[in-house]
Amino acid sequence: MTFNRRSLITLCILAIIAASVYYFFTRRGITYIWHWEKIPEMVFYHGSKSADDPVVRLRMGVLMIGFMLTLKISIVSIFFGIIIGTIVGICRLSHEPVTRGLSAAYVELIRNTPLLVQIYIIYFFVGSMLRLSAFAAGTAALSIFAGAYVAEIVRAGIQSIHKGQMEASRSLGMTYAEAMRHVILPQAFKRIIPPLAGQFISLIKDSSLVSVIALADLMFQGQQAVARTYHAFEIYFTVAFLYLVMTFTLSMATQYIERRLAISD
Amino acid sequence: MIDFRHVYKTFRTPDRREVKALVDFSTQINKGEVVVIIGPSGSGKSTFLRCLNRLEEIDSGEIIIDGVNIYDKDVNINKIREEIGMVFQLFNLFPHKTVLDNVTLAQQVVRKRTKEESTEIARQLLHKVGILEKENVYQSQLSGGQQQRVAIARALAMRPKIMMFDEATSALDPEMIGEVLDVMKTLAREGMTMVVVTHEMGFAREVSDRVVFMDEGQIVEEGTAEHFFTNPIHERTKLFLSQIL
Repeated sequence: MTFNRRSLITLCILAIIAASVYYFFTRRGITYIWHWEKIPEMVFYHGSKSADDPVVRLRMGVLMIGFMLTLKISIVSIFFGIIIGTIVGICRLSHEPVTRGLSAAYVELIRNTPLLVQIYIIYFFVGSMLRLSAFAAGTAALSIFAGAYVAEIVRAGIQSIHKGQMEASRSLGMTYAEAMRHVILPQAFKRIIPPLAGQFISLIKDSSLVSVIALADLMFQGQQAVARTYHAFEIYFTVAFLYLVMTFTLSMATQYIERRLAISD
Repeated sequence: MIDFRHVYKTFRTPDRREVKALVDFSTQINKGEVVVIIGPSGSGKSTFLRCLNRLEEIDSGEIIIDGVNIYDKDVNINKIREEIGMVFQLFNLFPHKTVLDNVTLAQQVVRKRTKEESTEIARQLLHKVGILEKENVYQSQLSGGQQQRVAIARALAMRPKIMMFDEATSALDPEMIGEVLDVMKTLAREGMTMVVVTHEMGFAREVSDRVVFMDEGQIVEEGTAEHFFTNPIHERTKLFLSQIL
């Protein structure tokens, strides 16, 4: 009964979408000639690059070059995001008012301003003072942004561990730091894998914003290709698909890790 | 060996009421003595234990262990805690570690023993508490009684001078209480200094040197287990004993 009703609703929605697409492409008079055949060479192509590099071999197309940069930016930002987030998350629980206050201020400041604005500030203001490259500025902005969210996730994870765990560790003579490292954090990390994965999937998608500081990531390369060829629909669909490849792989990987860590449950 | 001198401890509840857990609390415990603490809930029994290894801060007074005031600013409390084993009501085993790793972790981290050395000590103790065959499983596959025996082995692995038991059998199903009490009795007979919060009067009668009855943060009455069975003096003691026996 419920199943039938639900599938009926799904079918209705699909029908409405199909009808709108049909209407959009026919009745509104938009005629679009698809050029999907132009896409593969933007991902991989076989040939020579230029007169300077005439070797004929399999080479990465512009979208693949962008894909690799986005991957690099994401991995670096996730790495630093975890480090910043873990430290700040622990500081949020400190008994020291200054440490606690500063870490709380960082989290609130970063979470309550737009990432796009942060990227501009770090690139144009901090970046020009410290002579940062676009890559350094972009990954710094993303790491700091992710760090704030990771900090809150880490804090919640630590707080979710029963206080008896800390007491048992301390009663055995471990210092606070030893107890954190050997007892609390391993348990907390296991518990926060799902929200962390969600955060890092967001980070990969948010990394598309660094295209505004001329970092030639996947989004930037896509925009350039559109500007060159006008095949906006095909290129943006492909760009979306390539982001999906990254996020979906991450999603699968975390599910695998989660299953592996479930042994002790 | 252990000397409580005029210890005061007050808790503040979230709604800002004050609860006096220890009021001018003084007592001495000698080396090798087995002391059983009884008393109604909220009488300060657990607080007494938790002050003994400084899991709680006290308001005033002194707690001296082997001549060292453990609430002194310069004291390295971690060093003192190494010598005081604690067993909790809810076991508090490390769920992400196997039974063996539960017993070896603090040995390696705190006592700086090698893996081989700590494993050997852990195996001896797991054998002693009768659970060696479970050394590679996680706590989720153990019964409550088994978990508590592992917790005792974990505390013993530090070779402590004092063992504290905070209602170690209260969270157990009745048929598992015996196996844990047996381990505790063995320890007592071996001469371990023990401070035991429990309502198991059978245990008190069999191995304790002294029973302390606490109420409202103070010692109401103390004596041998026999004294409590035969002629308790105070009305509060009689009332409490009539409820638990």
